[in-house]
Amino acid sequence: MNWKRVFGRIVLYGGLLFFAFVYLLPLWSAITTSLKTPAEVAKTSALAFPTHPTLAPFIESFDSLKGPLVISLIITAGGVAGSVLLGSMCGYVFSKIRFKYDTFVFLLLAAGAFIPYQSILVPLFTTISKLHLFGTIPGLILTHTAYGIPMCAILFRNFYGAIPESIINQAMVDGAGPWRIYRKIVLPSTVLATVVVVTFQFTSIWNEYLFGLLLGGGEGQAMPATVALANLKGSLTAAWEVQMAGAIWAALPVLIIYIIMGRYLIRGYMTGAVKG
Amino acid sequence: MVSVTVKNLTKTYEGGNTIAVRDLNLVINDGEFFTLLGPSGCGKTTTLYSIAGLLEPDEGEIVIGDKVVTSKADKIRVYPQDRELAMVFQDYALYPHMKVRKILAFPLENIGVDKHEIEERVEETAELLDISNLLDRKPGQLSGGQRQRVALGRAIIRNPKVFLFDEPLSNLDAKLRIRMRFELKELQQKLGITTIYVTHDQTEAMSMSDRIMLMKDGRVAQVGTSDDMFHRPKNIFVASFIGTPPMNLVDCTVVRKNGKLWFDATEFEMPVPPRMIPDIEKCVNKAVVMGFRPQNVSETSGESEYGIRVTVRVVESMGTSYLLHVNDGSHSLIAEVIETKAKPGEGKTIKIDPDKMHIFDKESGDAIVNAIAI
Repeated sequence: MNWKRVFGRIVLYGGLLFFAFVYLLPLWSAITTSLKTPAEVAKTSALAFPTHPTLAPFIESFDSLKGPLVISLIITAGGVAGSVLLGSMCGYVFSKIRFKYDTFVFLLLAAGAFIPYQSILVPLFTTISKLHLFGTIPGLILTHTAYGIPMCAILFRNFYGAIPESIINQAMVDGAGPWRIYRKIVLPSTVLATVVVVTFQFTSIWNEYLFGLLLGGGEGQAMPATVALANLKGSLTAAWEVQMAGAIWAALPVLIIYIIMGRYLIRGYMTGAVKG
Repeated sequence: MVSVTVKNLTKTYEGGNTIAVRDLNLVINDGEFFTLLGPSGCGKTTTLYSIAGLLEPDEGEIVIGDKVVTSKADKIRVYPQDRELAMVFQDYALYPHMKVRKILAFPLENIGVDKHEIEERVEETAELLDISNLLDRKPGQLSGGQRQRVALGRAIIRNPKVFLFDEPLSNLDAKLRIRMRFELKELQQKLGITTIYVTHDQTEAMSMSDRIMLMKDGRVAQVGTSDDMFHRPKNIFVASFIGTPPMNLVDCTVVRKNGKLWFDATEFEMPVPPRMIPDIEKCVNKAVVMGFRPQNVSETSGESEYGIRVTVRVVESMGTSYLLHVNDGSHSLIAEVIETKAKPGEGKTIKIDPDKMHIFDKESGDAIVNAIAI
């Protein structure tokens, strides 16, 4: 037995367990708090197990969140569909079709992914208002689509770059034009890549707060769940248990996506990684 | 009638810094099996891709049948998908997500053939290539030889005007390659479709082609039949590229001694064979290169005007023959003989068949006299 190795393992796993513990604490406290009564929240520590578990906070928060959750779902579905579809087309064009100044154009497009949200809020607001899309679901879908395209294009360009040139050449000689090659060859042979990008976009659009706050228009208009969640906190007292239950409701769709897509996601990340 | 004509084709890369093909002219006849042969970087693939329309040349014109598909002067560029060609790539380029059935159907679907006919033609083609049992598999489940056949099937299914092959056999093991060579040639003979084949393997080129174009540095070194290339090489490059083992090449000077012409190769001297005298007459005191194939060298016990004293270095048994690697003091030579008892280190005399001798100009590399062909 190699004691040095065993010691190393103990330190390593000890460290990993410690970090896992620290990472899971907020989730743990969210779960315990969401199951408590307001009185118990006030008296006990956030980490303590609830003595009389109740689902009342879940019911209360769902009541205020169900509308925004549906809105979020529509916005996310629309935004993901728009940005992934258009981003994938851009990725295809920039990885497989050569034209004059293509690198320059791609750099311009890619730069869009690195512009901080805050810096474009004013022009964005003006544009959406002028389009009469303020406080509407289409307004938010349009914003998320436009803002998502650059990142999707970068990711897809990388994935499509791994498709051998001969496959594309072959398809051309076989009589397929660029559009047919994209639909029949490129898209179906990169399903994993699409899963990765869809998951990525779903998470970022679902969790997005700033655009929703600015363009959603508040209660009764196109307010997404993230914004509604922030409004849950109440004006006089902080109803922690309702907020925590709400947060769990809001996190659920992303969690479900990760559970369903998890297996494909890892394989998808790997294909990207192997290509380098 | 589908012939392919290439006129003044030039293609450069890196903004003109690398010239891949220079002013190439070429006519491929209807139904011909034509091979573009040469070392890597000689421009053969560039030429093929230009014919396919996958590359746009800088200059020149390409005509397939009676249709101009590329013309820089008239600004014509027909896209690959509209050239009615079929191509087999080195890596077969089978669509990884499709079943073989779908892969074969793809070229037909693209030109809008109806479903029923597609099914029929897929079955027919699969039968022809003996891949009927593979139709429901994906490329990942096929062996190298099977993939090759599927790629061939996809090429023939749409009755193309011209077949293009880009080193299609180079990913196969040696045994399979010889079989596929035969199958490919037989298929082409049966279908009679004009075929342009790219390879760097001269055996492949020699065994399959009606005519070969050997290229070097983007230029044509020689165009001709296998026999032309082997027996009548136009220059040293062709002579050394074609034939296994390669031709022996020895630097000599032509000298006149006692009123007779001799090749002086420092280590040995040899009289100029009478048939060559009119041509060699002009080369007195000039440097030439004497070429002779290993197959045209024999062992001899006696003295001979065309004999060279050598030391045997290595004897390779090839089964049907022996390769003797010998040295005359300054030249390494190879002789291919049917039988031998030679041992390494032994002194021997080898004799060159004077009828099979080639003489090249040292400076230009061009042939002055070739061997007498059968």
